[in-house]
Amino acid sequence: MHRRWIGLIALVAILGFATAQKTLTVWSGYPELEPFYAHVAAQFEAENPGVKVEILTQPLREYERRLMVTLPANSAGDVLEISSAFAARLVQNGLIPPASADLAALVTGGAYADFYIENASFEGVVYGVPLFRGQGALFYNTAMFEAAGLAGPPTTMDEYLEYAKVLTQRDASGEPIVSGWSLRLGGGGSGIAEKFWTIMHQYGGSIVTQQPDGTWAADYANDAGYATLKLYVDLVNKDRVVTPELTGDAQGFQLQTTAMFIRESWVIGDIAAKSPDLPYATAVLPRGTISLPVNLYVTSSDPLASQYVEAVMRPDNLRWLLANVGWLPNRHDVDYGDIIAATPGLDGFINVPADQVLFTVPPIEPIDEIQTRLAEHLVRAFTDKSLVDNEAGIRSVLQNAANETNEILRRAGLR
Amino acid sequence: MARLRIPGRTVRSRWAFAYLTLAPVVAIYLYLRIIPISQTFVMSFFEWNLIARRRPFIGLENYANLLRDQAFITALTNTTIIAFGIVALSVPGALFVANLLARPRRLSALYETAFFLPVVTSMVPATLAWKWILDAKLGPMNQLIGWFGVPPQAWLIRPELAIFSVILLSSWKVLGYNMIIFLVGMRNIPAMFYEAAEIDGASPVQRFRYITLPLIRPILLFVSVITVIQSYNVYTQVYVLASDAQGAPGHVVRVLVYDMIENGFRFFRMGYASAEAMVLLAIVLVLTAIQFGALRDQR
Repeated sequence: MHRRWIGLIALVAILGFATAQKTLTVWSGYPELEPFYAHVAAQFEAENPGVKVEILTQPLREYERRLMVTLPANSAGDVLEISSAFAARLVQNGLIPPASADLAALVTGGAYADFYIENASFEGVVYGVPLFRGQGALFYNTAMFEAAGLAGPPTTMDEYLEYAKVLTQRDASGEPIVSGWSLRLGGGGSGIAEKFWTIMHQYGGSIVTQQPDGTWAADYANDAGYATLKLYVDLVNKDRVVTPELTGDAQGFQLQTTAMFIRESWVIGDIAAKSPDLPYATAVLPRGTISLPVNLYVTSSDPLASQYVEAVMRPDNLRWLLANVGWLPNRHDVDYGDIIAATPGLDGFINVPADQVLFTVPPIEPIDEIQTRLAEHLVRAFTDKSLVDNEAGIRSVLQNAANETNEILRRAGLR
Repeated sequence: MARLRIPGRTVRSRWAFAYLTLAPVVAIYLYLRIIPISQTFVMSFFEWNLIARRRPFIGLENYANLLRDQAFITALTNTTIIAFGIVALSVPGALFVANLLARPRRLSALYETAFFLPVVTSMVPATLAWKWILDAKLGPMNQLIGWFGVPPQAWLIRPELAIFSVILLSSWKVLGYNMIIFLVGMRNIPAMFYEAAEIDGASPVQRFRYITLPLIRPILLFVSVITVIQSYNVYTQVYVLASDAQGAPGHVVRVLVYDMIENGFRFFRMGYASAEAMVLLAIVLVLTAIQFGALRDQR
């Protein structure tokens, strides 16, 4: 009798153990990607009975803080989505393990361009799997362009300035009510510097560059930086094409209070959801744009975590990502042709001429601090009327900011 | 007169009881306050990056760097302006309102509640409401000043106006609390002083100037110092006014706590942020010492 009971209990225990639910946690800093991860999770759970995928998304800055607190305590999610620039310091400090052999083979097996493999690796070892990229392009309101008699998007920086003035609509007092070109003048710190960087890139400048000896230095207290800051100062204070008070960025574009602005491809999905009738198109920038790779990293030793990442990278799922969210997948051996054809807005992101020069935020530890501190100098300068037609003043602002950047680099042992 | 004698055992048991009942509170205070503050103090002498494996001892370098850090100096300056600005606006304001309500009238309770309501309102929704009030395009504040012929202002974008906006919001929030403290003091002033003054023909202003003000001076000092100390911790208002909106004052109004959080939890320089925290602690301690010293002089 006793034996029978013991056997029954053992059987129940074994069955219970066998059918116990395993939970896989996926963390993301882009809330708009939650439906995508959930879409993959539904497939994954169907293929792996007893596995539950939990998805946690948070606004990016809060998410980065969470990573910094949980990773050293070994309490982060099993699969983490992190930009390559941010992940670099985590990898360098041993907080993220290398990718599994299968994932490394996927990354280096010809599905990704070298640029993305390099940004997912450290000292030749693959740590992340490239998922998507934040790439900038010009969004322009085709109806406003047509009304202003402009046949197509600007192709040189001179045309940008000229078109911005033509496209600006004003009230009776001359104040702009529709901005000809929405520039990022305030808000989150590093974003201001990143947008400034994108425009400065058109003039051949960069916020930091690596020197031949491997150290880094500020590279904007020069003619490229001067041309860029002068552009901002003039458009805000002299030409009154854009003001901090005007609703700008994606929101302003959707509300049609701005005729054009530079942003990443996620805006396409946002427009489709919020302003589906907005007449717009996208175009490449004159010289090139930012491309910020975002990768998936596995922190769990459970093979399921790597299998989930493999599921994310399946061609059908990446096509779903592009069609439904708008972020650009990095895997290039997938046919996105029909999606691109059905979404003209993707044109400025996908059909990039071969001579375009892409840049990315370098994976150095203090890059966020550098951009945030530079942004403070810029925000003050953008609305400083005394800088109008004041070359010495503009160069002085840039020099002071560059000195601070170099000091941060020196403190981090990078200069 | 015979002195009351308490047997030694009873005294000991009373002391034991006192220690026993105090122990949990002291333990919690030690765990939540003293130990973290001590650890922060220790961390301020290290180059303590949140994720770095090496955390070298650097002595006073963090403190020396603070003196050269323009962002910190800006934050300290802004915080000081805001702290004393709030005192300048909220203390006289509260004094004025308290003086009006000092003599209980039919609707006194209603007025007191109305003025006290912002104190119990959560800071985040209150700040969100002010964010709308101060909106450059749609905010009623610009409509209000428009009636006086003043053109619309970018309250949350221009640095000087953004600082003023934070002072205005914070003063509105704290005015009710200060008013209640003043009311308690004013209602404790014996009525005979006012009656005598009235017989002597003193005007209401004179009664306030020569009776009320001197008698509530310790309360005035207490309220002023407490308001300054609380105002040095200004953060939520700035953070919410700045949250994810273009042209908001997140970086225009840099305050000490904001700078500390940014250094610690965004740039992960915990050692440096700890040094900033120690400076803030020193400021608060100095202000507290001034308050204690001044109150002692009043006695």
